[in-house]
Amino acid sequence: MLSLIWLLLALFVAFPLLMLGIRAATDNGTFDLMPAINALRQTNTLRAFLNSLLLATLVGVLGTALGFLFAFTVARARVGRLMAWLLDTATLLPLISPPFTTSIAFVFSFGPRGFITHGVLGWENAQVYGLRSTLVAEALTYFPLAYMALRPMLTAIGGNLEEMAFSLGSSRWRAFRTVTLKLTVPGLANAFLLLFAASLADFATPLILAGNDLPVLPTEAYLQITGMFDLKGGAVLSLLLLVPALLVFLLQRRLVARRSYVTLGGKGVRASAGDSVTPKLRWVLVIGCMLVVLFIFYLYGLLAYASAVRAFGANGTPTLANYRVVFTQGMPAIRDTLIIAAIAMPLGGLYGVLVGSLVGRVRGGQALELVSMINYALPGTVVGIGYLVAFNTPPFLMTGTAAIIIACYIFRYSPSGIRTTIALLAQIDRSIEEASTSLGAGTATTFRRVMLPLVLPAFFAGLSVVFIRSMTAISATIFLVSIHWTLITVRILENMTELSLGPAAAFSIFVIVVVLVVTKGLELLLRQLSGRSAQLMMVERE
Amino acid sequence: MTEMPSVRVEGASFSYPGGKAGVFDITIDIAPGELVVCIGPSGCGKTTLLKLITGLLPCSAGRVWLGGEDVTTASVRSRQCGIVFQSYALFPHMSVWENVAYPLRVRAVDRTERRRQAEAMLDTVGLRGYSERLPAALSGGQQQRVALARALVFKPRTLLLDEPLSALDAATRISMRDEIRRIQKQQNIASLLITHDRDEALSLADRVAVLRDGRLVQIAPPQELYDRPADAFVASFIGRTNLIDGRVVAPDAVDTAIGRIVTPAHAMPMGAAVRLLVRPERIEPSSTETGENVFAATVVHDRFFGASREIELSVGQGMLKIDTTVRGTIAHVHLPRQAVQFLPTH
Repeated sequence: MLSLIWLLLALFVAFPLLMLGIRAATDNGTFDLMPAINALRQTNTLRAFLNSLLLATLVGVLGTALGFLFAFTVARARVGRLMAWLLDTATLLPLISPPFTTSIAFVFSFGPRGFITHGVLGWENAQVYGLRSTLVAEALTYFPLAYMALRPMLTAIGGNLEEMAFSLGSSRWRAFRTVTLKLTVPGLANAFLLLFAASLADFATPLILAGNDLPVLPTEAYLQITGMFDLKGGAVLSLLLLVPALLVFLLQRRLVARRSYVTLGGKGVRASAGDSVTPKLRWVLVIGCMLVVLFIFYLYGLLAYASAVRAFGANGTPTLANYRVVFTQGMPAIRDTLIIAAIAMPLGGLYGVLVGSLVGRVRGGQALELVSMINYALPGTVVGIGYLVAFNTPPFLMTGTAAIIIACYIFRYSPSGIRTTIALLAQIDRSIEEASTSLGAGTATTFRRVMLPLVLPAFFAGLSVVFIRSMTAISATIFLVSIHWTLITVRILENMTELSLGPAAAFSIFVIVVVLVVTKGLELLLRQLSGRSAQLMMVERE
Repeated sequence: MTEMPSVRVEGASFSYPGGKAGVFDITIDIAPGELVVCIGPSGCGKTTLLKLITGLLPCSAGRVWLGGEDVTTASVRSRQCGIVFQSYALFPHMSVWENVAYPLRVRAVDRTERRRQAEAMLDTVGLRGYSERLPAALSGGQQQRVALARALVFKPRTLLLDEPLSALDAATRISMRDEIRRIQKQQNIASLLITHDRDEALSLADRVAVLRDGRLVQIAPPQELYDRPADAFVASFIGRTNLIDGRVVAPDAVDTAIGRIVTPAHAMPMGAAVRLLVRPERIEPSSTETGENVFAATVVHDRFFGASREIELSVGQGMLKIDTTVRGTIAHVHLPRQAVQFLPTH
């Protein structure tokens, strides 16, 4: 089993990267770095590289700030039920939406016929494209990552430490600075790196919003390949993207491995939100969050509205025409996407649980975990071009098949399943397996009756992530689609370039609804299957 | 011998790669219904010994018999050992009765029958009415009982308990100690219990096996072990001691730092270096100032525990510990001749 997984990893992780490197460094079968160096020399390449880094840094800072604002508000400002629900929804939506959603909504809001720029302010020819909108759109799309990383941390630090600081005579501001903020530094760094990597890899937002003045690596690589049919140039650009991405990935791993100061998710010390924020500050925090939340809802509202009118900004007559397009012309894409998702989902879920259970139990488990994370850590552009190069020729000719897309999803989006499995198993006492064996069960029975039910939540977590990504991914799969197999996200992109914004909006809404329904369904199924132990209670030592 | 012991470990050895740790050449017989408690400092190989019996670790030398059958190379599941793990290792997703019925389930016992047997065993361990609960909803002592029921329900050849009481609070520990003893005797099963708590070992065991650095130092009934320890290590591991080094000066006397001590008659050569053991509770405060083995003493440390006192005394050039119920000041102590015994010097 272990060797099979290593074999798969070799084929679907290492081999494409290797082929990508070879493709960039050879010309007509001979080793020749000159074309690659020439490609790097082009000013455009350097600009794209610097732009990518600049954008990623800015998104990292802005997104981390937003994430911290949300996390701190939830952890300290004693928000009510409604407020908590609003915050959760606003941070959930970007995570399950197709990648263009925020960008399209930005065009609807701030574009030449935008609701605000044209409708409210009456400007003609408003300039939506550029660094500013790309930055804000990406920050809004990815700040939930920072929020989810920081919230458990701030809750764990709890009000107790702050109260301790007060009791020792510290002022609120000083306590915040010297205790809370200090303890959160590793978390902030982690959040920054997460966002940096996300922005670096983001293909969809810059494609729509960056415009001509802000070339970035993922879009340049895409244009090189699809526009100029220059596979080698694309390979070189994607390798350039690979360097900072790998660096950030390794840095982030080290940071997380150091385990910071607080143990996360331990015995939820009920954060006595107590006195850590003054009533005035509380209002500032709540209003700040609400502004962001309202803005996000406004964008999605705009999208929904645009999907249901004849021509956004020109003709506001309600119509279902856009949805008719989705279910007629869009039907092949919907069918393909759903078939691919339906196959990738169980395979990815199973793969995640398998690798996750092997990591802690076999020699070389650490290496296994690291390698299994690579495709996830790399920008989709790199993975996509790598697959394109590697599986374009025999013996592994897969171009144009559904299999190549499915493989891409499995090896790129199962790491959450792997991580959840590792985390779950870490909580399970090792002797549980020994107990089962000593009571007379064989390895298979032990796995089926004991281990499988215990890792079921991880399996379902894996399922839903693979499904969500199968519905929404584009950066890697844009290189892998064909006339035989296409995807909804690719259709949205085509709609955008044809300026049929209405169908694009309708497609986005459709994807969001499907993802919401399926993930909810999976959640219910999990609860059904694991019955009483839905929240997986652990036997605790006393 | 008419009956084969239920558990027989003969010359069993195992060493962990790269270290000196492991167990070496251990031989223990456990009779049906007998409870042997294995005790020793941490890292002495207690748990390793248990794993050799269960098959969770393979013997590098020696043999293991269970119920007269050589199981040295048998798999874990075919050995049929009932094990209670230190962490209990209950399956958190199964209810109490499902946990107990698990070994029956993997043996393809049908549902009504395994439910009946599980309920009966839960009755035995005093958990009637808890069948439908999840382990997480039980107290530590109750989880312990479930683990015990699960280990016994399939009529194993032996019951092995790995520090079963260490995770419990003091009060529960004492009541569970009696429970384990009661159930073990009722089931009449050869059992091995691992612990590092000497009170537990002495009060529970039919025989106590003392391990040190992977070797079996002594195996004996608790009283014998306490009264006739094989060496200074066993003596001090199993109870409080006064170990007094000295030199033989007469067929019944030894010169020591605290003075000349009269001992039971011995056959040691004159001038031999010897080590004497006197248990603190055997030393009495003396009202007379002279007599055989009566020494003047000065109190250095006096700890009062209500029922008794532990006192450290300076006597002659040495120190003595005594445990006594006597109140008031102490100026002289008496070491009854019969309380003095010789330990082998190494």
